Amino acid sequence: MLLQDVTTGGAFPLLEKTLAFAQARNRVLAENIANVTTPGYRAKQLNVASFQEALAEASAKRKPGGKFELGETDEVKLDGDGRLRVTPSVTPTQNLLFHDGTNGSIERQMAELAENTMTHQAAAELLKGYFDGVSKAIRGRVQ
Amino acid sequence: MYGALDISTSGLVAQRAQIDTIAGNIANAQTTKRLDGAPGPFLRRVALLSEGSPDGGAGVRVTEVVEDQVRPTKKVYDPSHPQANADGIVEYPNVDPMVEMVNAMVAVRAYEANVTAMEATKSIIASSLRLLA
Repeated sequence: MLLQDVTTGGAFPLLEKTLAFAQARNRVLAENIANVTTPGYRAKQLNVASFQEALAEASAKRKPGGKFELGETDEVKLDGDGRLRVTPSVTPTQNLLFHDGTNGSIERQMAELAENTMTHQAAAELLKGYFDGVSKAIRGRVQ
Repeated sequence: MYGALDISTSGLVAQRAQIDTIAGNIANAQTTKRLDGAPGPFLRRVALLSEGSPDGGAGVRVTEVVEDQVRPTKKVYDPSHPQANADGIVEYPNVDPMVEMVNAMVAVRAYEANVTAMEATKSIIASSLRLLA
């Protein structure tokens, strides 16, 4: 009962989903970068804003002590075990296509990759702090 | 999670194949005789990339390396050359070192981008693993 509260209460589910999303997005960005010189390739994306909206909505709807239920978006679904299943969408073409028919912008991909890594690290650090707190509570002393 | 490393690896392999092809073109810039014995000089080769890694997952792969039949070969008048034709013309490869160098720079930069993506993936894996320590 206690451990169940630990893994479903507080910021835990938010951080966990954030980590899972950042890992999935890292994969998508790596794929875009691998295909930077592939003619006709259209970059894929996972929309951060709509995922964070779903997170905020789930967080607002959660009752004290209640379960955290993440709503599904077009790109992010949950499987039976509560794991994220992502289907990246094709990045809409905002600029003219390059002469080889791609819309990839390597600068944007690299910037998003760096940003995504930092998001992941922030969530991991916070989660580690959360675990440290739980472990202090279990042991009953601060050291 | 480790899948992202495979994707970046497929990018590294594809860009290296691209650089190998370019190196072959530059090395053969003056080659007047073909390996397969067919008439004509060496023709510059181009590595074609397409989406999807060789093992069927996400990534990139080299589908084939084709000869550039479009760009014209250089014709030089040199009757004393053993490969000269009846009119004294020797055909030299359609390799333009300038074009090859620019393509090589593109491939090297793309290779570096994949290395950076790999570093990012590694730091994500490392920070996930630190949660367990």
